[in-house]
Amino acid sequence: MMNTIRCCFLATLLVILPAAHAAESGATVKADDLKAQPFSDAKTVARLPAGEKVEILTKNGGWLQVKTAKGSGWMRMLSIRKGEARKASGGAEMAGLAGLASGRAGTGKVVATTGIRGLNEEQLKEAKFNEAELKRAESYLTSRADAQKFAAKGKLKARQLDYLPEPATGGAQ
Amino acid sequence: MKHTTIKLLAGLGLALCVVSAHGFDLQQELRNAAKELKKSGGKPSEIGGYSEEEETAIGRQIAGNLLGAAPLVKDDKLQKYVNNVGRWVASQSERPDLAWHFGVIESDDINAFAAPGGYIFVTKGLYKKLQNEAELAGVLAHEVGHVIRKHHLKLLQQSKLVDLGGKLLAKQAGENEKIRNLIGSGAEIVARSLDKGAEFEADRIGVVLAARAGYDAYGLPEVLQDIGHVSANDSSVALLFKTHPHPDERLAKLGDAMDDRFDNIKGLDLTSRFYRIK
Repeated sequence: MMNTIRCCFLATLLVILPAAHAAESGATVKADDLKAQPFSDAKTVARLPAGEKVEILTKNGGWLQVKTAKGSGWMRMLSIRKGEARKASGGAEMAGLAGLASGRAGTGKVVATTGIRGLNEEQLKEAKFNEAELKRAESYLTSRADAQKFAAKGKLKARQLDYLPEPATGGAQ
Repeated sequence: MKHTTIKLLAGLGLALCVVSAHGFDLQQELRNAAKELKKSGGKPSEIGGYSEEEETAIGRQIAGNLLGAAPLVKDDKLQKYVNNVGRWVASQSERPDLAWHFGVIESDDINAFAAPGGYIFVTKGLYKKLQNEAELAGVLAHEVGHVIRKHHLKLLQQSKLVDLGGKLLAKQAGENEKIRNLIGSGAEIVARSLDKGAEFEADRIGVVLAARAGYDAYGLPEVLQDIGHVSANDSSVALLFKTHPHPDERLAKLGDAMDDRFDNIKGLDLTSRFYRIK
């Protein structure tokens, strides 16, 4: 039983992992332009409404290359949600989540039955201070200077950028 | 004013319970603290008005409690790697010199936690979902956002556990035992729901810090896309979904906030050097 569940879990993982290469489905969550190239002033191929199905081919920064019934091109990642039955901005799905928040999730979904080590509120409440682990955690401290060297090795360059203001309107809520 | 007094009394009662359970008497100290609060117009101690030492002492206690529930993954290279990435990202914040600590903990749940003073932990379950260093940076940067805006510290204060402690802690700084008694055991504070606004704020900070550090700003949104994918019935996301707005809602907010601002900001995702757990 436990093995079956583990197997399923692994199988799911295997399906998810190569997603970067294999096509993945998704849908637009708001109306947006399908562009010929991954930048905003590229030629517009089509205007897609919310709820349009797309096939995701690859990613480039904030852009996803997609295939749709209205043509192929690039769309902003944040105009798309991956997955099949996902609702626009969580409207219908949130109902299920509310149930989740008000009580235990469903019936058989208790951590212990799956053999997967979870971290639920009960465990957190009962947690006892572990000095040895804390010291171990602190032993991995990276100094600011070492972090800088680590970044340089990866050719990461720091740059100036302002924090984002809170969006004026509530958007989808 | 009346309201404040009642709140204060409730706070005192709570603190007394906690304190007396551990057998040391702070009644006089509490009375003095209450008097001082009254003098200052009945205002609760200033939010976030702890010294860095006090904040770190509080965070240290919470982090130690959390590690009591889920120890670190036994992989030195992994732990060093997340500290490198985390410290580089945190260096882009307004608290670059805090002693930032990062860790991956043994749990198949998908979650990440922040405690005051710069203690940040990611579960193994979440780490395994990550595809590259930019995604890790985005996740850690979200938690760094909670720390620099003192979200959990404020929550602790609101919960009155440490409320009148501002002054008490100051007197006891350095005495870990007493701080331990004030915080108590348990680490549920890290999993307590912050208000939604705090989560959206941490998301906005997360993408900016990652981008400042030279990473692709879309690492965090990418992770949210993948987590949003996980069925709400999956127990591995139960706690995360209970304590955070749904990823779809967070993505919608991020979409509004980011808009086209990052169009000309290219970053690296460093897939090749991303450390994968065996």
